[in-house]
Amino acid sequence: MAGAVALRRSARRIVRPLATATALSRTLQQAERLLSSQASPEHGPRGVVSASDLGLYTPERIRNFSIIAHVDHGKSTLADRLLELTGTIQKGHGQPQYLDKLQVERERGITVKAQTATMFYRHTSASNGPDTPRYLLNLIDTPGHVDFSYEVSRSLAACQGALLVVDAAQGVQAQTIANFYLAFESNLSIIPVINKIDQPTADPDNVKDQLKRLFDIDPSEALLTSAKTGKGLEQVLPAVIERIPCPPGKCDSPVRMLLLDSYYDEYKGVICHVAVVDGALHKGDKIASAATGRAYEVQDVGIMHPELTPTGVLYTGQVGYVISGMRSTKEARIGDTLHQAKSTVEPLPGFKPAKHMVFSGLYPADGSDFEALSHAIEKLTCNDASVSVTKETSTALGMGFRCGFLGLLHMDVFHQRLEQEYGAQVISTIPTVPYIFEYGDGSKVQVENPAALASNPGKRVSTCWEPTVIATIIIPSEYVGPVIMLCSERRGEQLEYTFIDAQRALLKYRLPLKEIIVDFYNELKGITSGYATFDYEDSEYQQSDLVKMDILLNGQPVDAMATIVHNQKAHRIGKELVEKLKKFIDRQMFEITIQAAIGSKVIARETLSAMRKNVLAKCYGGDITRKKKLLEKQKEGKKRMKRVGSVDIPQEAFHELLKGSGSK
Amino acid sequence: PLPIKSEPTRPAPRSRFRNAAIGLPARLPSPTKETAPNPPTPTTCSPICCLAAAAPHPPVPPPAPPPLPPASAYVHLPFCRKRCHYCDFPIVALGSSSPRGEDPRITDYVRLLLREVAATRPVSDDGGAPLETVFFGGGTPSLVPPRLVAAVLDALRARLRELVGAGVNRVSLGVQAFQEDLLRACGRAHGLEEVHEAVGIVTACEGLQNWSMDLISSLPNQTEEMWEESLRCTVDARPTHVSVYDLQIEQGTKFGQLYTPGVHPLPSDTESANFYKIASKRLSEAGYHHYEISSYCKPGYECKHNVTYWQNRSFYAFGLGSASYINGVRFSRPRRMKEYAEWVQNLEDGTWSHESGNSDTKEMAMDVVMLSLRTAWGLDLRSFSKSFGKSLSLSLCNTFKPFVESGLVVAMDVQQQALSPSDFELDLQSEFDFGSRAAFIRLSDPDGFLLSNELISLAFGIISP
Repeated sequence: MAGAVALRRSARRIVRPLATATALSRTLQQAERLLSSQASPEHGPRGVVSASDLGLYTPERIRNFSIIAHVDHGKSTLADRLLELTGTIQKGHGQPQYLDKLQVERERGITVKAQTATMFYRHTSASNGPDTPRYLLNLIDTPGHVDFSYEVSRSLAACQGALLVVDAAQGVQAQTIANFYLAFESNLSIIPVINKIDQPTADPDNVKDQLKRLFDIDPSEALLTSAKTGKGLEQVLPAVIERIPCPPGKCDSPVRMLLLDSYYDEYKGVICHVAVVDGALHKGDKIASAATGRAYEVQDVGIMHPELTPTGVLYTGQVGYVISGMRSTKEARIGDTLHQAKSTVEPLPGFKPAKHMVFSGLYPADGSDFEALSHAIEKLTCNDASVSVTKETSTALGMGFRCGFLGLLHMDVFHQRLEQEYGAQVISTIPTVPYIFEYGDGSKVQVENPAALASNPGKRVSTCWEPTVIATIIIPSEYVGPVIMLCSERRGEQLEYTFIDAQRALLKYRLPLKEIIVDFYNELKGITSGYATFDYEDSEYQQSDLVKMDILLNGQPVDAMATIVHNQKAHRIGKELVEKLKKFIDRQMFEITIQAAIGSKVIARETLSAMRKNVLAKCYGGDITRKKKLLEKQKEGKKRMKRVGSVDIPQEAFHELLKGSGSK
Repeated sequence: PLPIKSEPTRPAPRSRFRNAAIGLPARLPSPTKETAPNPPTPTTCSPICCLAAAAPHPPVPPPAPPPLPPASAYVHLPFCRKRCHYCDFPIVALGSSSPRGEDPRITDYVRLLLREVAATRPVSDDGGAPLETVFFGGGTPSLVPPRLVAAVLDALRARLRELVGAGVNRVSLGVQAFQEDLLRACGRAHGLEEVHEAVGIVTACEGLQNWSMDLISSLPNQTEEMWEESLRCTVDARPTHVSVYDLQIEQGTKFGQLYTPGVHPLPSDTESANFYKIASKRLSEAGYHHYEISSYCKPGYECKHNVTYWQNRSFYAFGLGSASYINGVRFSRPRRMKEYAEWVQNLEDGTWSHESGNSDTKEMAMDVVMLSLRTAWGLDLRSFSKSFGKSLSLSLCNTFKPFVESGLVVAMDVQQQALSPSDFELDLQSEFDFGSRAAFIRLSDPDGFLLSNELISLAFGIISP
């Protein structure tokens, strides 16, 4: 597609010198036609899919599906191939991983934002005889990671089927399982695709066995493909058409559609991705939001082919975009039902609302950059409504924000996007989870910021609750021992221990969320030489013996370093934290005591002795400029530090604490 | 033809001193306190520095506003036999061969120097104050034949007005250590025997009672015993002035390649701080006053020339890599000979001139703080308030308050008597009362001096946040 645009542009450039206006426009039209017929053999000039074209695609000629896979199993490459195969994008043009538009997605090989693309495909089959009807296929790309199950669930709600892609050599992995169940619970038809069969270590039969054992999938249903070489790809779209049901909507009802996603475009305003469930949507229609009751007029409507392509209409079962003059993405609630204005409709079943499981404070690395950070966060949350943001103030770090994330990867991705897309330098505090503390007097608080929990509340804590997850871990069987050790250190409770084939074991644990949010995955990778795959889903709260641990520097609590820990691990964690801080805080002109305390009880203590000497006792004659530079550099160094009481804390100390709160 | 007089105007040194050069890294100074109204004849003894005396300075002059014309001149004589292993000064290593007659590298350089002096415009046309001090630093200034040194003095006199009874009346000996092994390890061009010989020469020299000894602490493999021994020998030699430098490992030096600060064979920070404290203790016991971070003197024998620097007064400078401070502008000459020669040419052609700066007030305030806090006199709060505002003075004092309590900083009254922390605190309670008791703040000896970089950079943060 990007390639087509470029070609069209260069065609214009070539014809421009050709003189008269009429000659020019004629030539242009020819060039456009020529180019677009390559790009999209099924329709007229691309970018002009007419309402009458779309009208041909009744629900029976529409299939809405997504691709789900463990990371790196080839989901994005398969999507690229399908887009090429249907002429939606041109082979060899544009970027690979077409649907992964964010830098963070390309770098990490993950999908974070859901994307949709409409394709047209002429299907030949035995039952059709000589007739080769055209189909409209909507590929709704979904993030693979469980953190984004919020995004996944809303994408899947618009689909009737899914391609479950599994790497032929690696077999079923943790995310394969999680994604399978999400799709299964959404009643989707699942087409297993065993991909990367060109690899020397590919073992498709073993993967078929795994699919049978784990998901009860008939081995004969599996398609064997290599998105890289193109082998087997020709079976994919026919399977989509034959095995996935058409969307079930009612064509003659008033329009009702599901709001899948929204984003803000500088020029066009809020753009909503929608799946039309019932009826049809025309430009100029009045629509209303079931959630807010607000009404809008449809200014533009069309399909993603794969870029915004106006059609003036969307019919039952079709997926596309709507621009309706919404001013902020906050008006476009994901999962909302949009419907014909002035009519009452039953809202479609909503999506799971975003559940914030990980919280962390975000502060500008340089205190004076608060405004810049505030602006960056605001912009970013415009396109990622799943982050919750509230202002908070820390004595150590100044003004900042408490942000709630769907999970670890989500938090990481958010940080990375802040830095990459908005150039923000941030210090983030140790991530925490939403605990619930119940007091003797019956009061109850949810704690999203440990610093906000009173160290000495003056009343008895009766019960504490912490969120847990069900973790799925798949590992080669020789690593079972160390992984069981790790999980029990992290207060895990084993729920399942099975073998998915001769070499691989599947472990299921209930783990406190707090135990996995910092360094669990790294450690798991470490002890399994990188072979473990890991995924988790939220589970219920469990009662737990929790305490708030303060870190004190010369007796002053550092609010940004407060954590909530399990009572039995408090001593060990406290000791590790103070040792780490001792390493990263520089000696100063006075002795510094570093303490970890629970309430008023100190549980760990280190002393950093005073700096002995920092003097330039050198003959420097009258040349004071070098010496002054040195002192100015030192001054600048101090400026970058965060101060608590009289103690300067380098930024690295905060970063280091983040690297592992020492649950080890 | 050299514009140098063929004969020195002053008696030539006895020839046997000629080769008694004790190399010293760049060098030192010290003021004479008008003990010798008619300065003695010049002596060339190893590291040499000289100054001509004028009226004595009160010990605590206010930092003069820089526009005052310079009354001091620094002259760089960059020649050494060889480069010491810790040295990163702009020097020229001559090697051990001593050519018959004068080394052309020296005469060529002095010719260049005289051209610079001649091309330098005096700051004030009406004459202003005459030069009060001239300091020859190096290098090893004594490697330059006295005839040439005299020529430089003559040129200065001709250009920058009278030097009262000019002549060399102070020298410093770059002894550095009293242990043969340590001297060798430093790459010094002399041994212990030459040290004793030089001390003998200097002390025997009539009219040269004002001399300084330089020592370096924290040398590789230096032990506490060795350091005590060096200090003992120093005290025994009875110099009027002692400079104690703490070894700095500089990039690009041999030591820089070999050693890491704080790592064996260099002492740890704690040991190194201890050396500093020992020197302070031993020299104080022997009647020396620790008047600047690395300088000690018998009463009245402060290095008058260096005091110019610490009082932020202006000074001329001449020669390779030297730094001048004229009309409020600091300027460092090129450190490479070729570039320096080109620069002198530009100066003569008038294509380069000392800009007269209107320096930034903050920069000025930082200079005053940085320089004065190196000394025992400390920062004169009243004069600082006058120049930079009372509220800045008060902020500085408030920043230092916890360190007055912990003993790193000392507040003093007008008589330079220490104030108790509580008296100081009282003084800070209102801007109105501020300064009623506290007139000076200084860094304590030795603890405050030892942390001077920290304390001064803290002050920088207040002056220029």
